[in-house]
Amino acid sequence: MNVNVRVSSLLRKFTNWQEMVAVTGDTAIECLRNLEAQFPSIREWLYDQQGELLSQVQIFVNGERAYTHELTNPLRDGDEVFIVLAIGGG
Amino acid sequence: MLSQQELARYERQIMMPDWGEAGQEKLKQAKIMVAGAGGLGSAVLTYLTVAGVGRIRIIDGDRVDLSNLNRQTLHSDKDIGRKKVDSAKERLEALNEDIRIEAVGQMITEENVLDLVADFPIVDALDNLAARLLLNRVALRRNLPLFHGAVCGFEGRATTMIPGQTPCLRCLYQGVLPGRIPVVGVTPAVIGCVQATEVIKYIIGIGELLTSRLLIYDGLSLRFSETKLRKDPDCAECQSTQ
Repeated sequence: MNVNVRVSSLLRKFTNWQEMVAVTGDTAIECLRNLEAQFPSIREWLYDQQGELLSQVQIFVNGERAYTHELTNPLRDGDEVFIVLAIGGG
Repeated sequence: MLSQQELARYERQIMMPDWGEAGQEKLKQAKIMVAGAGGLGSAVLTYLTVAGVGRIRIIDGDRVDLSNLNRQTLHSDKDIGRKKVDSAKERLEALNEDIRIEAVGQMITEENVLDLVADFPIVDALDNLAARLLLNRVALRRNLPLFHGAVCGFEGRATTMIPGQTPCLRCLYQGVLPGRIPVVGVTPAVIGCVQATEVIKYIIGIGELLTSRLLIYDGLSLRFSETKLRKDPDCAECQSTQ
């Protein structure tokens, strides 16, 4: 599937300042891996050393929150996967 | 009953058709607890104060540091070393003498959070997830609204949580970006004003609240976007209060 991955501004320095990156992938988790293949330096912001998604990474599919167990749900052509980092400053 | 001074002070907002003297009276009778007198708290507290929320409780255990002053506009150079709640109270009382400000100079802990919150609606203007989640727990158990904001750099988030109707903070957060958070003062100002807007609408009962929606503010692109939130079926906090 052709999917648009949108990255929040905190991650854009790792995507050459692109907000939208076109990737292919059948699931959100696959799209993240394909994003990482294009931009390897984003890896440490998304995954821990065991390859698990970091707890502060929030994924939204077509604007709706997708929890961890939903990241392997099938995507459709044209879907949007939005990567947001949870922040805690006040 | 609004005094002549209050009618004059709030004239420009009472003019709004959905607001009126009745709306202003609701604000006067209302109470709110603001946890955090930092960057977010400076904006939230300023605008709730000048809007005329009758009773505001501020909770913060920190003291003012020079490095706070790029964003925490309730405090100034002369306040360095003072408790933030004291300088905040002084500043807010100078902005509006017609309301009551309570300053509680304590850190929020598991032991004191129930007493500190009591039955006040909660503004979460904190800077750490552990304390935010304590407020979340109390909000759920006591059925209190929680107005959440968070910032980092030029980015901000806000959402309004209503127990039983919306996801809770634990649904939203499994973790946050670790480390010392960079921030420019305009970002908590934007998000704090969003939180204050939500509180005012909630109290008066107007408009549409930011419920089950996460507002994402990107100051660098100057764009607001929004995502839908829903309850995490595995959320222990939601399950424990059902």
